Amino acid sequence: MAASHLLDDREDDGPNGSCQVMVMMEERTHPQATPCGNQVDDKPKSTKRLQGFRKALRKNQDYSRISKPSSSQLPSEWWKTGIAFIWAGFNLVLTTVMITVVNERVPDKSVSPPLPDKFFDYIPRVEWAFSVTEVNGMILVALWFVQWLFLKHRAIVGRRFFFLQGMLYLYRIVTMYITTLPVPSMHMDCAPKLYNDSHGKIKRVLQLVSGGGLSITGSHLLCGDFLYSGHTVMLTLTFLFIQEYSPRSCKWRCYHGFCGLLSATGVVCILVAHEHYSVDVVVAYFITSRLFYWYHTMANNQALRDSPHNYLNRTWWNWVFNFLEKNVKTPVPCTFSWPLSLPYVCFKNPCKSYSMVQSARDE
Amino acid sequence: MNKVASWSEEEVSLWLTDQGLQEYSEALRNSNGPALLSLTTDDFKRSPLSRVTSDGGCLLLEKIETLKIEHHIDIHKNGHANGHMVLNHDGNAGSAGKAQHNGMVNGFHKEPVQIPIPEPASPQFPPEWGKTGVALVYALCCFVLTTVIISVVHERVPPKEASPPLPDKFFDFFDRVEWAFTICEINGMILMVLWIIQLSLLKHKSIVGRRFFFIVGTLYLYRCITMYITTLPVPGMHFRCSPKLYGDWESQMRRVMKMIAGGGLTITGSHNMCGDYLYSGHTVMLTLTYLFMKEYAPRRFWWYHWSCWALCAVGVFCILLAHDHYTIDVVVAYFITTRLFWWYHTMANQQALKETSQTNFFTHVWWYRFFRYLENNVPTAVPRSYQKPFSWQSLHWGHVKYTRIDSD
Repeated sequence: MAASHLLDDREDDGPNGSCQVMVMMEERTHPQATPCGNQVDDKPKSTKRLQGFRKALRKNQDYSRISKPSSSQLPSEWWKTGIAFIWAGFNLVLTTVMITVVNERVPDKSVSPPLPDKFFDYIPRVEWAFSVTEVNGMILVALWFVQWLFLKHRAIVGRRFFFLQGMLYLYRIVTMYITTLPVPSMHMDCAPKLYNDSHGKIKRVLQLVSGGGLSITGSHLLCGDFLYSGHTVMLTLTFLFIQEYSPRSCKWRCYHGFCGLLSATGVVCILVAHEHYSVDVVVAYFITSRLFYWYHTMANNQALRDSPHNYLNRTWWNWVFNFLEKNVKTPVPCTFSWPLSLPYVCFKNPCKSYSMVQSARDE
Repeated sequence: MNKVASWSEEEVSLWLTDQGLQEYSEALRNSNGPALLSLTTDDFKRSPLSRVTSDGGCLLLEKIETLKIEHHIDIHKNGHANGHMVLNHDGNAGSAGKAQHNGMVNGFHKEPVQIPIPEPASPQFPPEWGKTGVALVYALCCFVLTTVIISVVHERVPPKEASPPLPDKFFDFFDRVEWAFTICEINGMILMVLWIIQLSLLKHKSIVGRRFFFIVGTLYLYRCITMYITTLPVPGMHFRCSPKLYGDWESQMRRVMKMIAGGGLTITGSHNMCGDYLYSGHTVMLTLTYLFMKEYAPRRFWWYHWSCWALCAVGVFCILLAHDHYTIDVVVAYFITTRLFWWYHTMANQQALKETSQTNFFTHVWWYRFFRYLENNVPTAVPRSYQKPFSWQSLHWGHVKYTRIDSD
């Protein structure tokens, strides 16, 4: 019946000469059709053809899905980010505890004078330089935070940042603890030793954590945490992340240059302020950059993970890396999106919807 | 080889017998080559052939066709007879014709056909001794620079009395053992000798040697920097540092020479200068020789790997036990050595990582260009094959030889 109806259409069409869409002939019921072929329905012929077209499409599913590298290859997995955050937080607290412990062991300035340092021989101390460092550090952290908020894959990137930061602080705990360097300069006033006063020590830990370890906030009174420099770590790490996860066009290069300048100035000012030995800064830079490059090369080269000649998996933290990055199959693209996703009715769907096809699907 | 067209009756008869078609010899005894070639199915319908044929002559006609084709092919060959002619046309058709290499009766002869198999292109590892020489020069420069820097730093080490040894966790737990440093140096020398022997036995010694020199040189270069910028005090009161030579260049030169000649070892009496603590050169050598030995030795010599590891670990432990270095020196040395070694070898073994790309951060190191120069022509991971240092043939010890094929 339906097939004949279509044929009837064509017959009736004679004088119009409009083009016919040949639709697959299949059984379907058309409510308005009558056996005698007279058009008793009110709908124009084109609508009927469209309807038929839609239904045919729906039934045959003639369209094919073109997959783009989308969320399935870069799953968010916020819980992993949470774990990395806890790891970083734990290491931060442990560092603070360790600084408090090491403070007890720092030899007195009179007993153990500052060690000879090449940089200090050439450049005398400038008092306000350390504030410059800390201000730079705070600016960089704020910039990075804002940039991170606007990244599309912030879960993955955040995870990486927390993990690397935690690792670097862990290594710092080890190096601080095993050998204690004397104070770099006679100007440093270390907080007095509290030999067995655990209460006092805990208060110190809390004070340090709340102030972020910065002398601007007045929480940096403890000595002994010289090898290696935590300030250098933060400056270098935030700069590397800012540079890596932002576009590489010309305008953005200015931004990178600016951040690089902030970072470099901050590091040099640490030395100018005689707050750390040169070797502390050099080792901190080396470890930070190498760890960053190592991690990101491993993460971005999927082929490397399965290769037998991959020596990168001989590090002790390789299993943590696999846990965090197992489902990240491609390099994270540099895309930005609004931090909060409003419900979609609020805005127009940016993707142009091909209503004919979509609504046919939705029926 | 005669063409069929010039065969005589005898030859035709012989051929028929060879083909197992003796029944036709009688009927065709007066046919020569051209007559044979001109046989058609009609001939088989008439006598005398019709009387002897059982299939209407089909088989014989096919064989004649084949003969035509064979000869056609033979003619077009470049004068090279790969196979053996069925018939020897020199006249002694009888015996010689039958005497064939494989002794097949019916004239089916085996022609070994040459099938050229393109050999899978085995990766080539050009020795390029020139590059190894450059790496050696680089390593030597770094050694000399290190010695000069030690000599310079020695002048700046604060005296023990003014700057006592720094607090160190290991020293708190373990008291000093006097002879421990000798053990460390002996272990180091054993490892070095074993490594040199292993290197000389490697087939690709130029490539591996180049890598060793480059990595050692870079590690000592880094060491120069860390030693120079901040000077740590002596780790123990037992140290007897030689006196300072303020500005006396000649004696400083002589001191440098003495140290180079003795290899920087205390055993040889060449190392009585202080100040070279961060980071420990002894740890670097122990760890690096162990890493190289493990990397380039066959996997199944597990006892060898374990004994080298034991030598290395004991050596490092003894450095600390002798209170000759701070713990931080040893830890940093171990870290830098292993990371550099793994970094270099991962880059060297993956072709994809040798090129700069957005995802390849390994190329951001300052020594990347030097690395490319050294490793440009090394296509894949260097196989662990060994050979006698001064002989012609390579002896593949790890490799079963298929003698029947190999001896051809």
